[in-house]
Amino acid sequence: MKQLVIETKQLSKTYEGVVPVHAVNEVDLEIENNEFTAIVGPSGSGKTTLLNMIGGLDRPTSGGVKVNGHELSGMNENELIDFRLKHIGFVFQSYNLIPVLTAKENTEFIMLLQKIDKKIRDERVEKLLHEVGLGEKMNSRPAQLSGGQQQRVAVARALASKPDFVLADEPTANLDSHSTANLLDIMARLNQEEGITFVFSTHDQRVIDRARRVITLVDGKIESDERR
Amino acid sequence: MVILKIAWRNIWRNKVRSLVVITAIALGLWAGTFASGFYEGMIDQKIEDVINNEYAHFQVHDSLFREELLLMKNIKGHQAIVDALAADDSVKAFTSRTIISGMFASSRKTGALRLLGIDPTSEAAVTGLDQRLIDGAYFEGIKRNPILISKKTAETYGLDLRNKVVVTAQDAEGEIVAASFRVVGIFSSNNGMFDGMNAYVLATDVQRMLSLSDDHYHEIAVMLKENGLAESYAEKYAKRFPEQEVLPWLDLAMGMRYMVEASGTFSFVIVAIILFALLFSIVNTMLMAVMERTREIGMLKAVGLSRGRVFAMIMIETLLLSMVGAPIGMFATYLMIQRTGEVGIDLGEIGETYSDLGFSAVVYPSLDLQTYFSIGIMVLFMALIAALYPALKAVRLNASEAIRKI
Ligand SMILES: Nc1ncnc2c1ncn2[C@@H]1O[C@H](COP(=O)(O)OP(=O)(O)OP(=O)(O)O)[C@@H](O)[C@H]1O
Ligand SMILES: [Mg+2]
Repeated sequence: MKQLVIETKQLSKTYEGVVPVHAVNEVDLEIENNEFTAIVGPSGSGKTTLLNMIGGLDRPTSGGVKVNGHELSGMNENELIDFRLKHIGFVFQSYNLIPVLTAKENTEFIMLLQKIDKKIRDERVEKLLHEVGLGEKMNSRPAQLSGGQQQRVAVARALASKPDFVLADEPTANLDSHSTANLLDIMARLNQEEGITFVFSTHDQRVIDRARRVITLVDGKIESDERR
Repeated sequence: MVILKIAWRNIWRNKVRSLVVITAIALGLWAGTFASGFYEGMIDQKIEDVINNEYAHFQVHDSLFREELLLMKNIKGHQAIVDALAADDSVKAFTSRTIISGMFASSRKTGALRLLGIDPTSEAAVTGLDQRLIDGAYFEGIKRNPILISKKTAETYGLDLRNKVVVTAQDAEGEIVAASFRVVGIFSSNNGMFDGMNAYVLATDVQRMLSLSDDHYHEIAVMLKENGLAESYAEKYAKRFPEQEVLPWLDLAMGMRYMVEASGTFSFVIVAIILFALLFSIVNTMLMAVMERTREIGMLKAVGLSRGRVFAMIMIETLLLSMVGAPIGMFATYLMIQRTGEVGIDLGEIGETYSDLGFSAVVYPSLDLQTYFSIGIMVLFMALIAALYPALKAVRLNASEAIRKI
């Protein structure tokens, strides 16, 4: 069943300065559940700004964002944090994990904040870390994991709270080609087998090739939007 | 709980830095607490000295005697007071003294000195004067006009046992009278100033020398069964004998009341100063920790760590950091105070200066548990204050800006 997960209307963000920068310029965008979408575009085209507004991390200058029917602009800071906790999974380029916690504890962390039962937590952490191929590394701290492994833990962590979708801003930017392919495999499989919605930005052609929908931004505007 | 775990582990991320802070707190508290214990020990001993060796719990004088020190300002109705004291169950011992000022001459030197005319038996019961004898005998062996002088006086006047001194004083009519005394013993107390100014003779000898009646006394010193009774009993006797001045030791010894009252504050002032200095090093450390972790804290806020939890995380981390060092420092102090409280700390050379000020040259530090507890509370309070700014800094951190730095 198709369902609108993300919906932006005339979404704009302008950074004031000597010359105002229209980082995102009147973007209308709809993303449905189960999509596997890449946001691409040259550096400075507004990818991060767009993702941050969708994720409720940045506030738009004008226009609005709806996530699963919830209008984000009406929420105050605390409501937004709570909303992010419950509805959105995040994967960043790096520094995704808490260095003093193990892979298992990092994955569990979001569920602890949500006060989910220990039994359910344990089950889900087990399952997620196995799915990202880190069943053996549960008790390793981030510093003991490779960059690719850390990103896989981040994906597991992002999924732990069963979010409506996962936002990933250049998740492979710091990875070699092997780890990149590996991470994409995992994301694609989660998307296909479990119906997880992914929205990720990238520069990398090999990553773009794996996407099922590619939205190209230029100067804060959508230049093309193709599904394949 | 997970916040507590993260906070605790965060402390050990930068081991060296945290250990420096923990050591600083431990050392600071050790110094502050020990100084308090040292001072308290000094005061306690001073109090003991003042009561047991100098003033007893309270004294009775003619209301003008202490001011004018005149021979004829003796206690009127001495017998009635003595009878009342003898009948009082709370009175442990009391003694009467006839006090005169006079010129004191040895073959080497002449100077002013106070003669305390005493009754050896009751004096020993009240002040333990016999215990402070370091040479000679306690009014034994010399029949006529024995005198007990301090070690200090013996040195300044070049006197030895059985040496003769001449004391000159004015009698009731203003006539100059002189009498010779023979050194029967040499004493030494903790109070160098007192020692330098006083010598003991028999009250009966003084009375005879100046042709006074045998109930001519200037001072009654009273020892009670408990220190705590001093003030109320002084008041009680003051009411009963309104003609006389009855004062507790706290008001007899100069500056004593002030010193005792200030001693409680002293511990807190010194610990507060040290904590204030530590505060800055803690704030500095935690600010650095927050700055270093900008991206991490940004990430945590992005994925849903509420502002309250971010605040709690930094607060707890600061508290833990502060509370690790505090017990170590205080426990070290506790052990040290226990030990030195038994064997004492000999101040040696400096001690003599203290002795002139009426303090003992050997200090036995002591600190009551209540004070440790209060200091603990102060540390906690300081840690809370220190945590505030770094924690607010972390709360105010903008998540989207922080992660853009990723
Ligand atoms: N805080 C800011 N203040 C001013 N201008 C900003 C700010 N953040 C971003 N910009 C500008 O907004 C525009 C869009 O930036 P954004 O980071 O969204 O681009 P991007 O597509 O993610 O680039 P990249 O591929 O390099 O990550 C850029 O011109 C950038 O300089
Ligand atoms: Mg970007």
